[in-house]
Amino acid sequence: MSLRGATTAVIRRELQLFAQRKSDWANPLMFFLIVCSLFPFAVGSESEKLKLIGIGVIFVGALLAAMLSLPKLFDEDARDGSLELMLASPEPLAALILARVAALSLALGIALSAVTPVFALFYALPFDVAAMLSLNVLMAVPTLLLVGSIAAALLVSARGGAILTAVLVLPLTIPTLIFGAGAALKVLYGESPAAELALQAAFMLLALALCPLAAAAALKISTD
Amino acid sequence: MARTESQSNDKFAGSWFWRYASPAAFFPLAGKLEKLCWALAAVLAAVGLYIGFFVAPTDAQQGEVYRVIFIHVPAAWMTMVIYMAMAFWAATGLVLGTRLSFMMSHALAPTGAIMAVVALVTGSLWGRPTWGTYWVWDARLTSTLILFFLYMGYMALAASFDDKKKGDRASALIALVGAINVPIIYFSVKWWNTLHQGSSVRPGSSSMAATMLTAMMIMTFAFWFYCVAAALHRLRTDIIERERNAAWLRDTLKAASQ
Repeated sequence: MSLRGATTAVIRRELQLFAQRKSDWANPLMFFLIVCSLFPFAVGSESEKLKLIGIGVIFVGALLAAMLSLPKLFDEDARDGSLELMLASPEPLAALILARVAALSLALGIALSAVTPVFALFYALPFDVAAMLSLNVLMAVPTLLLVGSIAAALLVSARGGAILTAVLVLPLTIPTLIFGAGAALKVLYGESPAAELALQAAFMLLALALCPLAAAAALKISTD
Repeated sequence: MARTESQSNDKFAGSWFWRYASPAAFFPLAGKLEKLCWALAAVLAAVGLYIGFFVAPTDAQQGEVYRVIFIHVPAAWMTMVIYMAMAFWAATGLVLGTRLSFMMSHALAPTGAIMAVVALVTGSLWGRPTWGTYWVWDARLTSTLILFFLYMGYMALAASFDDKKKGDRASALIALVGAINVPIIYFSVKWWNTLHQGSSVRPGSSSMAATMLTAMMIMTFAFWFYCVAAALHRLRTDIIERERNAAWLRDTLKAASQ
C-alpha cells in the first residue's frame, strides 16, 4: 500500500468511527456547552460584563473540550491492538499519526467551531466577533491536537494519563490562546486582526511540521 | 584532566569526556565538585549579601526595598538557564543514549522549579511596595510562572513511569518540546502584556550603581554554584538509588566512609 493509500485509509477509518460513535463528538460539544453556561452564574448576567469575558471563556472552553478528546487518539487503539499494527506498518509512523490527528481535527474542529457562534450569543457578542472567534477555534483545534498528540503518545501506557496530559499540554497552548482570543478582541474593538491571524496560522504550520515527528518518537518510547 | 580518580582508568576506555559519562566514574568526581560548589556558593553569597545589604547605596526611587533584586534577579536568571541546561542534557541523552545525561536532567528540574518559585515569591514581595500589588500579569512574571508549569509537567511525567528507562526518554522528549516552546511562549506573552520595568542590566551600558551591579553579579555566581551543587547532590542520590545493587557503589561508599 502506498503512503497515500495508507493515510487515506487511516483518515477514512477514523471518520467512520466518528460517524458511528456519536458520543465521541457529542460529549466534547456538551462539555463545551456546559462550561460556557457556567460562567454567567459565577460572574452575573449583565450583558456588558459578559461581553468582556465571553471571548476568553468560549476560547478556553473550546481548548478544554478538544483536550478532553486527546486520549481518543491512541488509548482505544492500544487496548484493541490496532496500535501495534500501526507501529508495525512499513509507512512512516509520523504520517500515520498526522492522518489520525487530521481526522480528529476535521471532525472536532468543525463541530466546535460550528457551535461557537451560537455560544457567542450567550455572551452578547456581535456577529462579526462571533465569526472571527469561530474561525480561530477552527485554527486552534488542530494546533492543540498536534501538540497534544505528543503527550497522548507518551502517556499511552502511563498512570494518570488524562490529568497529566492537561498539565503537559495546556501551558504549551498559551500562544494559541493569546492570539486566537486576541484576534476576536481586535474585531470587538474595531481593529484589524490580521497580525493575530497570521501568527495563529504560523503556529499551526509549525506544529504541523514538528509535532508528528515528535509524536512518532513519543509513541516509540512509550510502546517500547 | 586529572587522572587521580579512585576508579581504575582502564575500565573506562576512551577520552576523559566519555569516561565520565559512566555513573561509576562520575560519582566520586561529582562528590568533589559538589563540595567545592557548596563552599564557593556559601562564600560568594556571604560576600554578595554583605555588599548588597551594607555597602550598596539606597535606591533613589525605591528606597531599601530594591535590595530584593540581589535574590530575585539571580533566581529569575537561573530559572531560564536551568531549563536550557535540562533540555541540553535531555537532548544529549536521547542522541547518545547515555544514562547519566537523563539523570542530570532529572537532577536539575527540582532546582529549576525552586528557582522559579523563589523568583515569583520575591517578585511579588517586591511588587507590593513598588507596584502596589502582589501580582500583575506582566510578561516576565507570567513567563516565569509558565516555566514553573513546564518544570512541574516534566517532573510529573518522569515520575509517572514505573520503568525508569521509559520515564527518562519520555521526560527528555517533553523537555525538548518545552525548550522549543519557551521562546514562542515568551514572545507571545511579551506581545500580550508588558508593564515590567525595562531591563537595567545590559552589557556595556548599565543604569545601576557599580556596587549594586557588583553585588548582583556576585549573587548570580553564588546562585550558579548553589544550583550546580544542589543538582550534583541530587544526581549522586539518584545514582545511589539506581545502582544500589552494583558492586562498584558498595566499594566506593566503603572507601569513602573509611
